[in-house]
Amino acid sequence: MHKFAHLADVHLGAQKTPELKKLEFETFKYILNTCVEENVDFIIIAGDLFHSNLPDLGVVKDAVGKLKEINELGIPIYVIYGSHDFSPNATSIIDIIAESGLLKKVFLPEIYDDEETGEEKLGLKFTVDPKTKAKLVGISAKKLGLEREYFKMLDRTSLESEEGFKIFVFHAALEILKRDLPTETLKLSYLPKGFDYYAGGDVHSASCYKDDDPEYGWITYPGSPFAGYPGDLEMTARNKRKSGFFIVDFDGKIQNVKFKKTKLVEYQYLPFDADDKTSYELNDEILNKIEETEFNEKIVIVKVRGTLTSGKTSDINFNEIRMNIRGKGAIHVGISHYSFHSREFEAVTYKGEEDSEIERNLFKENISNVDVLDDDLNDENGVELAVNLMNILKESQKVNEKKANYSSRILKDSLNILDI
Amino acid sequence: MDKRGQIVGGGLKNILIRERSGEKLEIGELLVVNDNFDPEDLYKNRDYTILQIKDIEYKSQMSPAIHELLAGMELEGHNPDLGFVEPELANYSVAAAKPMLAVHQKKAKYETKSPKRLPNFFNPLFSIETEDLKFLKPKNTENSLYLGNVRSGSNVLEDLTVYINAKDALTHHILIPATTGRGKSNLVKVMLCSLLSSKDAGILVLDPHDEYYGRNDIGLKDHEDSEDFLEYYSTDPPVGQSKLIINIKSITPKQVKGLTYLTQAQSEAVYLLHNRFGENWIFETFNTHHIEGVHPKTLQVLKRKLENILGIYVKKDEDGEVKLGYRRSLFKGGVVGESTINNITESLEQGKIVIIDSSKLNDPEELLVGSMILEKLFYQYKEYNTDELRKKPVISVIIEEAPRVLGKEAMESPGGNNIYGTIAREGRKFQIGLIAITQLSSLIPKTILANMNTKIILGNEMSVERHAIIESAAQDLSEDNRIIASLDKGEAIVSSVFTKFAIPIKIPYFNDYIKKFQTGNDGKQEKVRTQISG
Repeated sequence: MHKFAHLADVHLGAQKTPELKKLEFETFKYILNTCVEENVDFIIIAGDLFHSNLPDLGVVKDAVGKLKEINELGIPIYVIYGSHDFSPNATSIIDIIAESGLLKKVFLPEIYDDEETGEEKLGLKFTVDPKTKAKLVGISAKKLGLEREYFKMLDRTSLESEEGFKIFVFHAALEILKRDLPTETLKLSYLPKGFDYYAGGDVHSASCYKDDDPEYGWITYPGSPFAGYPGDLEMTARNKRKSGFFIVDFDGKIQNVKFKKTKLVEYQYLPFDADDKTSYELNDEILNKIEETEFNEKIVIVKVRGTLTSGKTSDINFNEIRMNIRGKGAIHVGISHYSFHSREFEAVTYKGEEDSEIERNLFKENISNVDVLDDDLNDENGVELAVNLMNILKESQKVNEKKANYSSRILKDSLNILDI
Repeated sequence: MDKRGQIVGGGLKNILIRERSGEKLEIGELLVVNDNFDPEDLYKNRDYTILQIKDIEYKSQMSPAIHELLAGMELEGHNPDLGFVEPELANYSVAAAKPMLAVHQKKAKYETKSPKRLPNFFNPLFSIETEDLKFLKPKNTENSLYLGNVRSGSNVLEDLTVYINAKDALTHHILIPATTGRGKSNLVKVMLCSLLSSKDAGILVLDPHDEYYGRNDIGLKDHEDSEDFLEYYSTDPPVGQSKLIINIKSITPKQVKGLTYLTQAQSEAVYLLHNRFGENWIFETFNTHHIEGVHPKTLQVLKRKLENILGIYVKKDEDGEVKLGYRRSLFKGGVVGESTINNITESLEQGKIVIIDSSKLNDPEELLVGSMILEKLFYQYKEYNTDELRKKPVISVIIEEAPRVLGKEAMESPGGNNIYGTIAREGRKFQIGLIAITQLSSLIPKTILANMNTKIILGNEMSVERHAIIESAAQDLSEDNRIIASLDKGEAIVSSVFTKFAIPIKIPYFNDYIKKFQTGNDGKQEKVRTQISG
């Protein structure tokens, strides 16, 4: 019995904070270490190993170190580009690492004319894994789903007639799967039939499809093992996303497909609904909840949505919330308040002949919602002041004006307007 | 311009025309009689009437006894040289014609109305010319539905095309009554081809014969805009097209009731299961032996019914957990097919044509898929306010063997696929209409037939069916029974509240018509080798 691992969408270099960067790399290390423990014969990475085509060199150094360890153990790693680590013009880091022999690209294209129709065809050369004799072939992703052109040109006949245990590696979300985002999808019928395993990437939540219909073998997406997109952490915290990788047993055909989770830390999801609450009530509710909850070694996602009945969204001190949660031992705190509004600043459509008129009307409409003690800032006076200040702030830097001079001019004029 | 005949009698219902010798008038032919006109400049200012020939008979100035005697003498060889003196005057044909439309033309302006007075007695009649029907030409054909060319008898007016406003016609429903072999598929293909590039009409086609896409032949896929405006779903799609999969999570109890008969107890059980388990209700039905509130026998029967209609069977994995297997290619579980209905309704809302290849589905499955799409779309469109709705394309659904869903029985069946009936009755308000194709119009209730405001009538040899169509037509076709019976393949009559009169048409052959929508490759383009990176 042979064994291989299938992962995708690692997105090394996606995280910006030190603690998440660390977790991102630890997850990658954990996967490769598990592959070694599981004694896999080879590893497939179905795109987006890195978050960009030229990531931070520190990230590359760590990754190459780990890939080298695997290479020294004689475990080949087969790879294709994803949509993130592909570059149409520049060299990608994948090319550099592949050149060193630590990764082997399985997208080996060849363009030729069809003998009958004269149309261009895309032929793909199989890579045969030396130990297991598994045959791998893949199509790299391009930006914005443009790899569909590759699939249209694909010479399926030669791929489908190839004998042996075959794996097709691709990086595209299939149309038959549920979409959470309105992303480009690939129709299932574009995939060549008759492969034993279709190693997919690009879908950030793990899924696995094995039809009773024998036309296609297993079609799987391992999902992003940690987090590639900002929303991934929230989806993990809400248990809406499965992240991990597959370990597959085979001996001429698939025997077992095992999913390994890569949730290395605990997550806590704290949702708050602002509807029918004042800003003070909501603030108290959030702080009380934090007070009574333990966050040790967890990634915490706070989600605030809804519309306050009174008070401003800025009355909620998100910085304090973050500090309190961190203070109780959280590794990381993510706060999402995209759908959080206040009635005091409702989005309204204003009409006017010119921009300045629309702006003036907008100020006029909203100034009554702001409770300011200084009379000069209320009513028409306040509107006038706001309009004048806005006009100053709209001023752009003049030709030949130095940046420092520009800043001091704007500051001086603003202070004049404010009469300070 | 040659005279074809002259008015010799009759009345508004039936004008009698003596045929000019050798002119050979045809049943269904259109003729024109001018009343007030300037002979120097005929097509400038005039009043004229368009007539259509309904019947033709022999007439003679001699008595029948003389004809019979003469025929006998010829046949028996008594005097073979006997003949009539001036036979073209003695013997002739008289045609009965119906006035279709009275037209007042003032330069390029045409006013049309239904004929309320007789054309001048004894006036000559002429063959209809393009100029006589110029008012049929639409200002622009961009958002119009093309049906064919005007036909006068068997003569086709090549430069006179018939278009109807697509938005009006589609939302007010179209009926295509046709028996097999009269060119129904060709007509539908031509109609779809003319609308394919329009963003203003989204059309769902339930295609039980898989004949519109053109999987193995010329079809809509060969239209130059098919990549952008045509979606094709099949349980066995060709490369580049969509796999038709319905996830069992998307199926509601109401839809199951549309697929099979459920007793009161079974019906209550499916709603209870749905309330309790939400979208996982079908899986949970198989996953358990006991559900509180449902009698074990009812649960057992329900499982068997679901097994039969959805092709589901239970299989257990290595750990003994219940897994479902799927025998039919349409229904699946797991992670696939949850977005199919959404994807289709999105495409329709973008003004695309979506063809569902239902050739491998059984009847209830085909109707279920149609119902799921239409229910979602109907309630979505219902939610839009007037402004939003105006910006949306009109939606139309082509349904074959329409009495399956619009027949009296189907309309009255409890829990039946009545979204089609709902659309027939209320769809117009929400810009959704039907294109119903049937051999048996008589099975559709009169109230529904009367709501189908455009009828494209192809040949029909069944008298009962012809009468059902005639009774519900937008124009008075009471005299057209024989004309409809005599329609050849590809010939049709368009009777619509959106046409001035019931227009006889000839539908072009699709394989020729689509050539207008194909970009020719003259081979002069220099071939540039595709560059692959990665």
